[in-house]
Amino acid sequence: MHDEPPPFLGTWPRVYTAVIVYLAALILLCYIFARAFS
Amino acid sequence: MRPLDWLVLVGSLASIVIYGLYRGRGSNTVDRYLLAGKTMPWYAMALSIMATQASAITFISTTGQAYADGMRFVQFYFGMPLAMVVLSATAVPIFHRAKVYTAYEYLENRFDAKTRSLASLIFLAQRGLSVGLTFYAPAIVLSVIFGWPDRLTTLVIGVTVVIYTVTGGIRTITWTDVQQMLIILFGLVVALVMIFVLLPRQVSLLDALHLAGSAGKLNAVTTHFDWDDRYNLWSGLIGGMFLALSYFGCDQSQVQRYLTGKSIAQSKLSLLFTAMAKVPMQFFILFIGAMVFVFYVFEPAPLVFQRAEYERIRGPELRSRYDPIEARYEAAHARRKEAALAMVEAHRRGDAGAEDEAVTRYKQAQREVEAARLAGAHLVEATGGPKGFRDTNYIFLSFVTRYLPAGIVGLVIAVILAATMSSSSGEINSLATVSVVDIYKRHFHKKGTDHHYLNASRIATAFWGAYAVAFAGFGSHLGSLIEAVNIVGSLFYGSLLGVFTLAFFFRRVNGTGAFAGMLAGEAAIFAAFLFTGISFLWYNVIGCVVVIVTGLAFSYLGAAPRKAQDTALG
Repeated sequence: MHDEPPPFLGTWPRVYTAVIVYLAALILLCYIFARAFS
Repeated sequence: MRPLDWLVLVGSLASIVIYGLYRGRGSNTVDRYLLAGKTMPWYAMALSIMATQASAITFISTTGQAYADGMRFVQFYFGMPLAMVVLSATAVPIFHRAKVYTAYEYLENRFDAKTRSLASLIFLAQRGLSVGLTFYAPAIVLSVIFGWPDRLTTLVIGVTVVIYTVTGGIRTITWTDVQQMLIILFGLVVALVMIFVLLPRQVSLLDALHLAGSAGKLNAVTTHFDWDDRYNLWSGLIGGMFLALSYFGCDQSQVQRYLTGKSIAQSKLSLLFTAMAKVPMQFFILFIGAMVFVFYVFEPAPLVFQRAEYERIRGPELRSRYDPIEARYEAAHARRKEAALAMVEAHRRGDAGAEDEAVTRYKQAQREVEAARLAGAHLVEATGGPKGFRDTNYIFLSFVTRYLPAGIVGLVIAVILAATMSSSSGEINSLATVSVVDIYKRHFHKKGTDHHYLNASRIATAFWGAYAVAFAGFGSHLGSLIEAVNIVGSLFYGSLLGVFTLAFFFRRVNGTGAFAGMLAGEAAIFAAFLFTGISFLWYNVIGCVVVIVTGLAFSYLGAAPRKAQDTALG
């Protein structure tokens, strides 16, 4: 079965990188949230 | 429940069944019944994956967990996006190209029949145990609200799910999951808005955050490392990633979702969308639990949220032991409320000194409240109640039924039942698929017609539905349901993940090595469970590593390796 390119960011490695950057940002936001109100 | 609640509840559930039956038209071949003819778009698969994972347990237990233990449970999901990236790059293309109905079918292509059969049996054992828990959670809801017997409740929900699952197969399940997920999201937003509306007028959103945070309920990230600590950043990233790899890469209830995709790209997108949406969604659900905690800072909360046990320990026989605890609890609760109001007032005035002093009193009172609640739980346990008694599963429901207005109660109950239906339908369908494809067709009836296997799939679906209802009572012997489900999964997932890792990445490993590796992996996991205090999130790591090491050792020291298949990586 042929693997199509993703509909955005051009290649799958770029999409994977974007997901990991997004995760890092989420963890950072959760950390700031926890610190701000602890 | 008031008439409007009944209208919303019955209307929501009826719409799910009718929509499911409508969407299930044309599921008249095995390929359409089990894989929806590989026609599903990515967004339907993604919402279906999320709905299958978000069971009633998620809403009942997770919110209670935030109330009791804070939001640190969200870290459990931090490993999921990493796992989804790995699976999108490896498992999704391999499974699609192998043109299989089940993940375990691939193991025979790569290794041999005994490895496939062992993996199938491990899946059936694990998923068979947890599907009963999926049904048990809403039974708690209805027994608390209506006093219905657990057995009757599970039977009613089970029959409803089996009707549309047997009729329409995975296409029905996927589309009803989409509908159920939308109901769930809407219901969650409404519940949170209602909590804010019910807070005292002088308490703003920012005040509520400070009150929850000062009591340790917003601890979304904890960075210290401890093997025995269930939820911290490291167990979430590493242990959570291994659990998610196992769940989404080796559990047929999830694999079957993305095998229905129109293309590899559509399946990858569904997993990556799930990866991005899951952490915020869990954060949101836990946040609801933290805000319920703030609500109860200002409203009287029962010492024990499980009503039957609460009434029992207040009875004449235990009154002399109950009264001192209750007096301590009420006094601490009053001090906490007074300190909370003082905090809010001092913050508003900008009086930092008074605010610090109020925070100190608030934290002290919170510790006293928790100590009194713990004493209450010990009293329940010491006087004939369940061992390890915890009331986390009753906190959110108790709040919903006591304080939310007409219509909203029905909506929240509909959310919980919709979540049960979405999870259990997927589990039952995957159990039936593995039973028919990997066991019945492979070992007992190899040359049947398509119609024969379609009927066998329908019969197997009905069987697993009946089995799930029968075993739902198992849940009453466990503590927090969300943890129970994950612990049961972790006892089996590590070895499945290990064997798929061997299949994908180690070309020289043969069937005997993989088989021996799985047995050794299960032995290691059960040893860790029975004889150590290691947190369950690490079982997947331990099991996976033991399978890989044993598989490699047997393959290199034993017979010559089988020729690698073209579906493996590398």
